[in-house]
Amino acid sequence: MGRYIVKRLLLLIPILLGVSAIIFALKTVTPGDPARQILGNDATEEQVQAKRDELGLNDPVIVQYFRYIAGVCHGDFGESYRTGEPVLEELVPRLATSAKITLGAVAIGAILGVLLGVISALKKYTWVDSLVLVVSMFFQSVPEFVVGLVLIMIFAVNLHWLPASGIETWKGYILPMLTIGVSSIANYTRITRSSMLEVLGEDYIRTARAKGQTESKIVMRHAMRNTMIPVAQSIGTHLGNALGGGMVLETVFSVPGVGKYIVDAITARNYPSVLGGALMIAIILVVINLIVDISFVVIDPRLKTTIIAGGAKKPKKAKAA
Amino acid sequence: MSENILSIKDLVVHYETDEEVVEAVNNISLEIGKGEILGLVGETGAGKTTTALSIMGLLPAKVGHVVQGSIKLEGEDLLQKSAKAMRDVRGKKISMIFQDPMTALNPVKTVGDQISEVILLHEKCSKAEALRKAQEMLAKVGIVPERYKDYPHQFSGGMKQRIVIAIALACEPELLIADEPTTALDVTIQAQILDMMRKLQKERGTSMILITHDLGVVAEMCDHCAVMYGGEIVEYGTVEQIFDNPKHPYTKALYRSIPSLDQDVERLHVIPGMVSDPSNLPSYCTFCDRCEEKNSHCAEHDPWIVDVEPGHWAKCFQYTPEWEGGK
Repeated sequence: MGRYIVKRLLLLIPILLGVSAIIFALKTVTPGDPARQILGNDATEEQVQAKRDELGLNDPVIVQYFRYIAGVCHGDFGESYRTGEPVLEELVPRLATSAKITLGAVAIGAILGVLLGVISALKKYTWVDSLVLVVSMFFQSVPEFVVGLVLIMIFAVNLHWLPASGIETWKGYILPMLTIGVSSIANYTRITRSSMLEVLGEDYIRTARAKGQTESKIVMRHAMRNTMIPVAQSIGTHLGNALGGGMVLETVFSVPGVGKYIVDAITARNYPSVLGGALMIAIILVVINLIVDISFVVIDPRLKTTIIAGGAKKPKKAKAA
Repeated sequence: MSENILSIKDLVVHYETDEEVVEAVNNISLEIGKGEILGLVGETGAGKTTTALSIMGLLPAKVGHVVQGSIKLEGEDLLQKSAKAMRDVRGKKISMIFQDPMTALNPVKTVGDQISEVILLHEKCSKAEALRKAQEMLAKVGIVPERYKDYPHQFSGGMKQRIVIAIALACEPELLIADEPTTALDVTIQAQILDMMRKLQKERGTSMILITHDLGVVAEMCDHCAVMYGGEIVEYGTVEQIFDNPKHPYTKALYRSIPSLDQDVERLHVIPGMVSDPSNLPSYCTFCDRCEEKNSHCAEHDPWIVDVEPGHWAKCFQYTPEWEGGK
């Protein structure tokens, strides 16, 4: 198991090299000069050139790239052009905020989705099943930001229960979590429903019935854990997507998370911040995938042999911001 | 024959879907004595498993219906029992072993848990006690008791079937239904499993219904034998009667299809035609279309059960006075 984890973490190296190389390449082809952005339109050409020298922007890209990589290896992600603060120090609290929202959202989506999925599997082909299907499909087909805006309308503007933006109090977290969570319910419902139906048709369920076990315990003790195998896979992907793809929602709710940080940095040509944010997300995605894969072993003992034997599954490619 | 443990009377089972009604079991009556092993023989689709599932009360929900008849276990009609009462019967009084041991065990639970589950359900005892009994059962079926912590995928097919048998016998049921228990296993393992089942059956005096399409298994294991065709029992008798003196044309044809060691045959005998479609059964004898001994009478009327010798009957016109008239 230890060897497996190390092996998986070593895979981070090529992934991070790839992500940073792509962003560096983008930097060279994107119009706009960071030095000019920092100094403003009033600055003279000499001042801009001096700033470019100071930032090392006049060196060949390849030199800049390796200088950056060398820094990252020492835990130095560079300084933000805009604030001059170390990127890492700016990122950590924002990551924490995004992580809280993501975890809460995935928990809401997964718990409600699995619950609805189980209900509709047990009541298959009845009106309950159809109702669950329609409601969850509805939330899936409406874009997340629309759900967010509607929730703001209801809970912030009309009812005044929750703030429309900001996260000054814990109440500020609720709407973003709900928005991401609600949009993902359909996904979990569908996976759970089909997985549960498949599991309930298995021979070992019949064996459990032949033992005289009650239906509710058959579902809880025999079917549930087997049902959760594909659901756990989906939770992993969802965690990654919600964290890396939170930009729109963080903008809608003015949440100072990592997504909004990257969006702001892109507009300001603040490359150290973009790079730092993207690399952080890549690292977290790889780690989340690893944790999910390890959690499979806990759910499904059959995988223990494969994983310990080193038959590693390929990690999903981390998504760059 | 001693007292009967199970008696099935006039059982009719249908599978009903929107498109069609499948008449899986048509009016069968059977009796099984205490401590007796009954072989239920027939080809795929003859209604063997449906009969077994009806006894267990495990017909597929919504689709499978018992249309008429009674299934009495020690005089109590199982078909009249509530779902809750049936749960107390299953696993405790009647157990079932299913065909495919590869899929019959839950892959994410240890075998110890799976055996002790049935003990906890039917006996008042602590978890530790149940686990101890589970280990005893493992030893009885020839598996090292320490392996109770292992998961099904860590066992071979034959060992999995031993575990399935351990689950079925854990609460010392009075009746064991074994649905093709050795079909999915390879030949060398089959004999081991059958030997073990017979040993445990003798030890405990369990009555047994052995469903199979292997006549060799029937000869080896059973006291009585019922031959099923098209949802009906077409011949019934002791194993000796049926093997030495088969009466129904279907039974005779089955024997001719078995390869023989002493005779040199180019091709095995094949019963012509296909099994009759259970969603469209004829009103006359179900076997008529494939029968090599039929006469004009057979395609017009459904034959009835005729005693051919004491304790041996067949559902065929050959043994009735009508037969001569038809020629």
